[in-house]
Amino acid sequence: MTESTAITHGVDISSLDREPRHLSLQDEQLCLEVKDLNLYYGEKQALTNVNMQIPKQRVSAFIGPSGCGKSTLLRCFNRMNDLVDGVRIEGKIEIDGEDMYNPHVNVAELRRRVGMVFQKPNPFPKSIYENVAYGLRIQGNPGKRELDEVVEKALKGAALWDEVKDRLHDSALGLSGGQQQRLVIARAIAIEPEVLLLDEPASALDPISTLKIEELIYELKDRYTIVIVTHNMQQAARVSDYTAFMFMGELVEFGDTDTLFTNPRKKQTEDYITGRYG
Amino acid sequence: MNIGQHISQQFNAELEDIRNRVMAMGGLVEQQLTDAITALVDGNPTLGEQVITNDHKVNGLEVSIDEECSRVLARRQPTAGDLRLVVAVIKTITDLERIGDQAERVGRMAVRLADAEIKQSHYVELQHIGNHVREMLHDALDAFARMDAEAALAVAREDVKVDKEYESIMRQLMTYMMEDPRTITRVLDVMWAARALERIGDHAGNICEYVIYLVKGKDVRHVSLDQMEEEVRSER
Amino acid sequence: MNDIKKWFRSGSPWVWMNAGAVTASIVMVAALIILIAVRGLGHFWAKPIFEAEYVEADGSSIRLIGEVHDTEIVPAERLRDSGVQVDKGIDSLRRFLVKTGNRDTGGLDFRWVLEPQLKSKRYPEELIALERYEWGNFYGYLKSVKQNGELVAEGESAWEALQQRLERAEGLHAQIREIEKDAIGAVNYKMERLRLKGRGLELQGEQPGSSKFNVLDEERAVLQLEYEGLQKNLNELLEQVRRDSIMAEVMDGRVVEISLAQMVRAYRPNAMGIFSKIGFYFSKLWEFVSDDPREANTEGGIFPAIFGTVLMVILMSIFVTPFGVVAAVYLREYAKQGPLTRTIRIAVNNLAGVPSIVYGVFGLGFFVYFLGGNIDQLFFPESLPAPTFGTPGLLWASLTMAILTVPVVIVATEEGLSRIPRAIREGSMALGATKAETLWRTVLPMASPAMMTGLILAVARAAGEVAPLMLVGVVKLAPSLGLDGNAPFLHLDRKFMHLGFHIFDVGFQSPNVEAARPLVYATALLLVLVIVLLNLAAIAIRNHLREKYRALEH
Repeated sequence: MTESTAITHGVDISSLDREPRHLSLQDEQLCLEVKDLNLYYGEKQALTNVNMQIPKQRVSAFIGPSGCGKSTLLRCFNRMNDLVDGVRIEGKIEIDGEDMYNPHVNVAELRRRVGMVFQKPNPFPKSIYENVAYGLRIQGNPGKRELDEVVEKALKGAALWDEVKDRLHDSALGLSGGQQQRLVIARAIAIEPEVLLLDEPASALDPISTLKIEELIYELKDRYTIVIVTHNMQQAARVSDYTAFMFMGELVEFGDTDTLFTNPRKKQTEDYITGRYG
Repeated sequence: MNIGQHISQQFNAELEDIRNRVMAMGGLVEQQLTDAITALVDGNPTLGEQVITNDHKVNGLEVSIDEECSRVLARRQPTAGDLRLVVAVIKTITDLERIGDQAERVGRMAVRLADAEIKQSHYVELQHIGNHVREMLHDALDAFARMDAEAALAVAREDVKVDKEYESIMRQLMTYMMEDPRTITRVLDVMWAARALERIGDHAGNICEYVIYLVKGKDVRHVSLDQMEEEVRSER
Repeated sequence: MNDIKKWFRSGSPWVWMNAGAVTASIVMVAALIILIAVRGLGHFWAKPIFEAEYVEADGSSIRLIGEVHDTEIVPAERLRDSGVQVDKGIDSLRRFLVKTGNRDTGGLDFRWVLEPQLKSKRYPEELIALERYEWGNFYGYLKSVKQNGELVAEGESAWEALQQRLERAEGLHAQIREIEKDAIGAVNYKMERLRLKGRGLELQGEQPGSSKFNVLDEERAVLQLEYEGLQKNLNELLEQVRRDSIMAEVMDGRVVEISLAQMVRAYRPNAMGIFSKIGFYFSKLWEFVSDDPREANTEGGIFPAIFGTVLMVILMSIFVTPFGVVAAVYLREYAKQGPLTRTIRIAVNNLAGVPSIVYGVFGLGFFVYFLGGNIDQLFFPESLPAPTFGTPGLLWASLTMAILTVPVVIVATEEGLSRIPRAIREGSMALGATKAETLWRTVLPMASPAMMTGLILAVARAAGEVAPLMLVGVVKLAPSLGLDGNAPFLHLDRKFMHLGFHIFDVGFQSPNVEAARPLVYATALLLVLVIVLLNLAAIAIRNHLREKYRALEH
């Protein structure tokens, strides 16, 4: 009789002995390492002495008020800031141990390793298929079968395949905003980058599309290192393993998301995430 | 209510995990209670000791579930049914932990009374009320697992009977004490055990109220049974 | 007072003002089109021919046959001043411009007559009008038809006979034209090529009588034979077409003989019903757009001018598009933005405002004399001193027009490039594309509607421009088209005709301004139509592109 009570509710108690997972930066493999980074737009300093380590195959989120430099920092990771006039960068960013700001680094090559998705969905005015194939076509002239495979794989990876498989050759501009953003993610993962940078990927989307993107991020983190900038801290809380709080161009706190959102170390962080920021 | 249909699979998994932990904790507490009653009725001090040592497991589960709940609150900002589930869980585990404590107390009495030469007939009533509250607890957890407000209401009704039984046990024990003042010390221990079992009935009733809150979204604490029934029967 | 203020504040005065401005513009455009359409298209309608007694100023009376070409009201005062007898009490008189035709017999084919002096005006059905290859229209009475000088028909049956024989003559004319223009033209072209080849060999220092010259001589002999054969055919046909003639009476009573070889068309407008008039109208209209001009451009069609205009515009588009687009891409995408690019941009914008004749002078000086002269020295020495490219022609006209319109294309393309969202470029770069790859694969296709807009503006400007073309390639009458069946098919060195210049030439340079005025309107209408068609084609392409590369608007 005592035995039967224990399993009445179909639960095996012994399986529940495991504690909730606690992440710790010390246990992680590193992907990106930022060392003493300073960035200036002309005279104005946008990033001050940033030091951080982005762990491999985890989701790291950057939060902070507008203009705190989180997008600027993100855009340093694939040297997108090079396209802006008057930007000066000091310090180092290492990807797998090599400095990406070394003069002999091939920037196009680097950007293939570090993919990026932007705030507003920006599909090219081409067919869905051609959008996904874009990166491969630039790298060379792949065969049709190879291309078909990669496109299908990328669209499946971005959880879009079922929605578009019957209209691959229709214009990508006919898709909804959320589908477009997933298409852009598919386009980015089609060239198999190591890192995926997401710059407020859901800010232009409705709540349901946002949740789909977040779910996608969760699924993608097994294969890619993901860095996401978001102005929505709930989103950061939902999707990320690690969270960085930035303020006025400085990195205030970087740690595992559970701790940062339940018991932040710095008062500035607490004020911001609880909505007491001035 | 179905917790398995969120867009976020991760959220599904987290809620499912919390629920499973609660059910596991319930199962553990039920086990503890059964063991304590058996130890008391059979005069088995070993089993009583075991109940006392196992209580820390219940406490540990409470802490870990609490932590998980606050994590979900911080990261997922649950709303509506999800929010009620988390709130109901946080309250339920408090009551479960109290039940665990009461079971421990019964276990302690069992150890103390084991070598006593009081007539075993004293324990017949205790066994009866013990079985009753154990069933109540079992049904309450069952109602929680199936999210069944009707079943929860039925369990809540049982509490009145438990209270009556407790009163009659008290009267009986009082008679014993008046008959033979030498037994007072021991009878008081038995009274403590009865008192603990009665409290367990109350806690089980509380759990039922949380189930009704979870399912119907109505707060039915501190209302009469008839009102409670009205709320349960009403459409949402 | 308050109401007025309120009315002003409500903004409706502005709405009214804007609506008024738009209405005025529409009315003006519509009025312009309607004016040239009515004036121009009326010309092809078969007008009735009248016969009347006309009392001259000296009291003598003559017979007048002709059609009313124009009507105007003149104040009597002015007539009295010029010595015309006008009764007292009359303030103004109606005056007709009568086309009497028959320039070969009467000298003048137009004259002004005052309405009161026209007596017993009538419209006899027997009056015929003849359109001729020379001497303009003929009006008169058909008397008889002759074949080889012998009478074959007279009186009423003469009209029938004329019709039949005219049909035969038309068939012969068609054959003659084919031989003259196509066959003999081709042979002549080949002969000229052979001559130039021979000259080229001489310049290379080949000895006369060497084997290469022998080959040329043989070829020339073959062509000569062919030419003689064609010439013989032609002479026979000419003989045949001269077989028939008619006798006709003109208004002063004389009877003249007119060969059918001279006739284009014969008709009796007074006897025509409404349907035959409509049929006649369309055959005239078709002649206008599809035939070569006759009689110093005052008669016949304007096909070479349409062809020349369209060909020039197409060539210009081919030159201007890549040039303008490349310049715009460099300015917008590659050049470092600074004072220099700003200066260049201002210069380009101002270039669009330079008077077009200045471009003509530049084209003549730079392209024709400098470039063309040097090209002739280098590549066509055999035809010197006759210039090949060292003279105004299609190529130089197109290039001059391209330079004239390139600022428009540059500005429009730059505008289009600047409107491509930054996100698209970044998206492409983030996938590992270089700047050039991004431009080529994404930015340029998306900017193509803007390029087409620039091209549309360029086409509209180039097709309507006349002044610079007069200096660099347009002529009054071009003997052959710029595109024909003789290799290399496209003859960039040839001169060409242009609708705009044709209008100027017919309207102001023609010996017979009165006769040509309706043609000026008709040609103007056609020019407008050609420009509209070119623009519509370009707009259709642009809209298609725009749909394809619709920018991201959400």
